[in-house]
Amino acid sequence: MMMAPFRMPVEIRFPLDLAVAIAPIHQLYEDAKLDTWEPEQDVLWSLFDRAAFSNDALAAARHVWSRRAWLEYTGIAETPALLLRFCLERGREADPKYFLTVRNTEEAELVESYHRYAELLGGYHDRPADRRWEDVINRGYYRDVLNAETPLDAYVAVHCALEDGLELELFRAYKANAVEPVARAVLNQSVEDKIRHAEFGWHYLEKRSMEFGASDRAAVIHAALSWLHDVAFAGYHLPSLSTAIDSSGEQHAQELAADVGLGAATAAQEEEIFGAYLKAARTRLGTLGLRLPVLSHPRLGKF
Amino acid sequence: MMATMDSYRSILEPSESRFPLDLEQRNPKIRKLFHASLANQWNPANAIDWNSLDVGALTPEQRLAVRTRWSRRAWGEYGAISESPALQIRFCHDRLDPDARLYFSIRSQEESRHAEISYLLAEKFGGYIDAPEVDYENSVSTHGVRRLALDAQTSVECTVAALVCSAEQIIFNIFAHIAHITTHPAIRQAYRLILRDEVRHCAFGWYFVASRLPLLGSAQRDRIRDAVVTMIEEVELNGYQLAWLAPESEASRAQVDSDRILWQAGLGASVEELEKPVFISSLRDIRHRMKSEWDILLPAFFHPKTGTI
Repeated sequence: MMMAPFRMPVEIRFPLDLAVAIAPIHQLYEDAKLDTWEPEQDVLWSLFDRAAFSNDALAAARHVWSRRAWLEYTGIAETPALLLRFCLERGREADPKYFLTVRNTEEAELVESYHRYAELLGGYHDRPADRRWEDVINRGYYRDVLNAETPLDAYVAVHCALEDGLELELFRAYKANAVEPVARAVLNQSVEDKIRHAEFGWHYLEKRSMEFGASDRAAVIHAALSWLHDVAFAGYHLPSLSTAIDSSGEQHAQELAADVGLGAATAAQEEEIFGAYLKAARTRLGTLGLRLPVLSHPRLGKF
Repeated sequence: MMATMDSYRSILEPSESRFPLDLEQRNPKIRKLFHASLANQWNPANAIDWNSLDVGALTPEQRLAVRTRWSRRAWGEYGAISESPALQIRFCHDRLDPDARLYFSIRSQEESRHAEISYLLAEKFGGYIDAPEVDYENSVSTHGVRRLALDAQTSVECTVAALVCSAEQIIFNIFAHIAHITTHPAIRQAYRLILRDEVRHCAFGWYFVASRLPLLGSAQRDRIRDAVVTMIEEVELNGYQLAWLAPESEASRAQVDSDRILWQAGLGASVEELEKPVFISSLRDIRHRMKSEWDILLPAFFHPKTGTI
């Protein structure tokens, strides 16, 4: 079967405005340039003591950290695609473009770190044991954002504000759990990076929402609901939210890793974070004139 | 706002398939470049003492020449932000070595700081100019890499060989020459900082293609040669980097005149008679290296200003 040709916007580069246009995002870029780190040198990997943990705990944490690497890897293709999309749309500000280049460096550092930590724990898994998770994780964000049919503002609202905000809250919990010093060092830096990533999304949404018309607002809400139903509820961030795939193995691994302080959160803790975050995000969206309707999860009920 | 749509057979058509997700170190040389880039970051906002930079010592004509020069540089560096990240998407799509996927992330950041320092210099010397003259726009608007990287019919080796091992190698050599003859401290510093990153960018290209060659047949090597030839003939010899190679126009003449003003004052530009031998030797070096390392023979190139190279 022939696939329909992929349609992406065509760039009109000039006039090329490179001036600061969104001060808070410019500041994030400046902050990120100062908050540089080098995983190989700045994390004391040799502090990890395998003997301090049971084989079951190590196996569980391997699983958790491998999955973390798979998810972080999303940005390795998504961020350059988002950067291209900003460049393809005429009149988009310079600050997000600059910021996204730094964000991508940070994502690469985190991918390398999560992989390395999984290796320390006993070995990185290069794919899920249950292959059905692959469809959940292969989201193809880089394709979505370059598709001319995808409204850029809605994409940023959902994936840079809403989704990156959720990631940040989850990582705060992982960091809070991390007693083991290498995990703690990696998660400390993860949270620093992810604070900026989430702030970028919300700042950009705040800036753009001032110019939104009804159709723009509807596009954001539509994209948010699609993400919640198709990605979040499918178990992308929280495996326990999946109702199509048995996540008991993932939940067990999370629990064992969290129990010994290897930088994880239990399914129950994640679900609590998810509920609280969604509530706060709904309020924040509301202040921008974006009304997120109540939605229902098959097991957890109404959010 | 979007103008029109671009539609072609793209690597973006099929769904994502990232598993098995290999993250092992496969190419130690490229992984080393990634770590070197992480360890050698610099910040345009403080890499130059902007507040003590005295532009009043320059004539109005020189200031105009500097702002024009660095505005043009900003447009060129911006091309690496708005086009080259497509290569990273391609590396992921083709599931190439993880080292290339990780390295290219910081490469884009380095390009963004080159654009930023170019913009800041233009601003400092009188104001960044946001567009070229209309009759000069085609020479500086695109090197076509985004399209090449996303085009399913074009191999990634072709794109890297053309963009990095050819175009970037040439500009690296030209920059090294200009940094050498520039006497203005801030401008020389800007060139040196950019060169510090670009040496890794060029190394990446040669390492990458070398790692892929054992997998390629003669037809694929021929396509690499054709891609390099296209880049040199249609982009480099069209004046994408060097104004004196651009088609004759009022704007390109103005750029050449402006560069001469800068060269005379050691303000970070060179002139045709000095750049020409660097350009010619760059092409000869590239031809020699591609032949000796890749067994790919480039043809002779011709431009009225250089003769046959």
